[in-house]
Amino acid sequence: MTDSAPRTPDGGDGTWAVIRVRIAVALVLLYAVASGAAWISLAATAPGRPAPDEISTYESRFQQLRSALPARGVVGYLGHPDPTGSTPGEQNAASLLHFKRHLLAQYALAPVLLLEGIEPEFVVGNFDPGTVPSTPAGFRIVRDFGDGLVLFRRAP
Amino acid sequence: MTVALGLSLLVSAAAGVVLLRLAWPRAAAAWPWPLGTALGTAFGVGLSSVLLYLWMLAFGPTRGFPLAESGLLGAVTIAALMRGRMAPRPQPSPSPGERRSRLRYLLAGAAVVALIAAGAAFLANLQRQPHGEWDAWMNWDLRARMIFRGGGGWRTAFSGMIPWSHPDYPLMVQSLVVRSWLYAGGETLRGPALVAATFTFGTVALLVAALAALRNLSQGLLAGLVLLSTPFFIIHGTSFYGDVPVGFFFLATSVCLALDARYGGATRRFGMLAGVAAGLAMWTKNEGLMFVPAVGAAILLSGSVSSGWPAARRRLVAFALGLFPMLLVAASFKLHLAPRNDLLATLGVERTIGRITDLKRYYLTLREYFTHLATFGSNGFGSGTWLLLAYLLAMGIGRRAVDRVWMRMAAIVLALMLAGHFVVFVAMAYDLPRLLNSSLDRLLLQLWPSALFLLFMVVRTPEEAGSTLLRADPS
Repeated sequence: MTDSAPRTPDGGDGTWAVIRVRIAVALVLLYAVASGAAWISLAATAPGRPAPDEISTYESRFQQLRSALPARGVVGYLGHPDPTGSTPGEQNAASLLHFKRHLLAQYALAPVLLLEGIEPEFVVGNFDPGTVPSTPAGFRIVRDFGDGLVLFRRAP
Repeated sequence: MTVALGLSLLVSAAAGVVLLRLAWPRAAAAWPWPLGTALGTAFGVGLSSVLLYLWMLAFGPTRGFPLAESGLLGAVTIAALMRGRMAPRPQPSPSPGERRSRLRYLLAGAAVVALIAAGAAFLANLQRQPHGEWDAWMNWDLRARMIFRGGGGWRTAFSGMIPWSHPDYPLMVQSLVVRSWLYAGGETLRGPALVAATFTFGTVALLVAALAALRNLSQGLLAGLVLLSTPFFIIHGTSFYGDVPVGFFFLATSVCLALDARYGGATRRFGMLAGVAAGLAMWTKNEGLMFVPAVGAAILLSGSVSSGWPAARRRLVAFALGLFPMLLVAASFKLHLAPRNDLLATLGVERTIGRITDLKRYYLTLREYFTHLATFGSNGFGSGTWLLLAYLLAMGIGRRAVDRVWMRMAAIVLALMLAGHFVVFVAMAYDLPRLLNSSLDRLLLQLWPSALFLLFMVVRTPEEAGSTLLRADPS
């Protein structure tokens, strides 16, 4: 085994090697201390008891709707906000929020497939709470679950 | 439910350790329990995922799976006992100076504190976001729900009607979440949490154990400290994405190749195990599809550089033999279930030529590579990259002939992966700045445990570098 290390400026008595090793180990320990402090701070600011997170809260809206849907298959989806805006920034933000709500609805209602649009027989309406949903042409409301959540079905 | 979840992990880990113990070439290398346990857990978890996939193809995601899997573990254990392969073989014991030194006590104490702190942060973050981050509920856990809730119609989970959910992604993470729910008897957020914890802390355990076996314990503890202190590694571990899991299998491959370099002259088994581990990486994320040829190329290139063609050929054949079963599994998924990859779907000759002839894309990608590499692992004290560079300069390189070929191989794999991702960014990314911003750190994270393993294999140990801290404790 041959090692390559910086030449020692201490006349070869090993002091420089010891200093180098101590500095190197100290660097790793300081790095660990900095992260450890951040970890402890993160843990200390955690809520004492589990509180409902954003996803769980949003998902709970869909509980009743889930039991009203077919067990599997494809269902349409209409949602707020409309992916439009007066500036590109606003449009991007609206599109992202629209997409996120669609994803969360899909996550909550799996294994049913939610497709944007009104082709399927059933359509889930996921609107802003408090808005009066407009029923798509050719559909009727099966049930209004409140909080902006509506199930439509194609009228016979 | 918690007991059942614990059992799910225990069955995987125990099956993997027993199987690895059976496959371990004891005539060539002693069985190190810490490394055997960590590596065995990696294989066990991976094989559990594959077993569930095969079970689903035959029966769907049914409650009979835990019983069948536990029965299989029992059969494997009995077979192992009957073959008399379970008795531990004595390992060479470290010298008294190696066993007890002030530095080693210091590092062990620091590692325990770091593990507790990281574990507390991990749990706190899980409590804050029990569903993980965006990609978890858009992709990984959504797919697990669709499979678990889908029953006989579980294949709907791979419908091309929801391309934004990446239904072509390999099944490791999703199937392990489904498996945890099958053991628990229903959906629970603790399932994905357990899977995430297994991969996150399993990676740390594998890194420490591998370096302890191949270098020494101090080196393993130092590397473990750096990994446990890498902020993005712990935080991203709770996101339920596939990056930490695929990094786990990249590391497992690298460890098996290092064992092969040490003991491969007498056995092909470590090379085959490297092939299995690389196959499991391929079964975890699409990046594994790039990793497999990168390893193959690295084996050949390192052979050509060191004029070791016969050894390289032997290693490549062993690697391919181990990889082959996983190739079949992955191919069956890609050909029969998965729709086309969305990134590949946007490729067209004209569009691709337009991208690869646009110099701005090269500049932007290079700039982001440099920035993200330089700041990776920043925690207020400094970035992990600069820390390791300073550490390397201070300690120096230990040029051990026995690991030279492996070191070349591991360095080439990392370089090829970085180069491969660079090409993907330049040639395929639709919205390049957004993709670089959202995924480059995650790609670096996948390689980070393997990079730490390589660095701490290369750099001299504190003992070699000559610390007086290492004098044996007279007590």
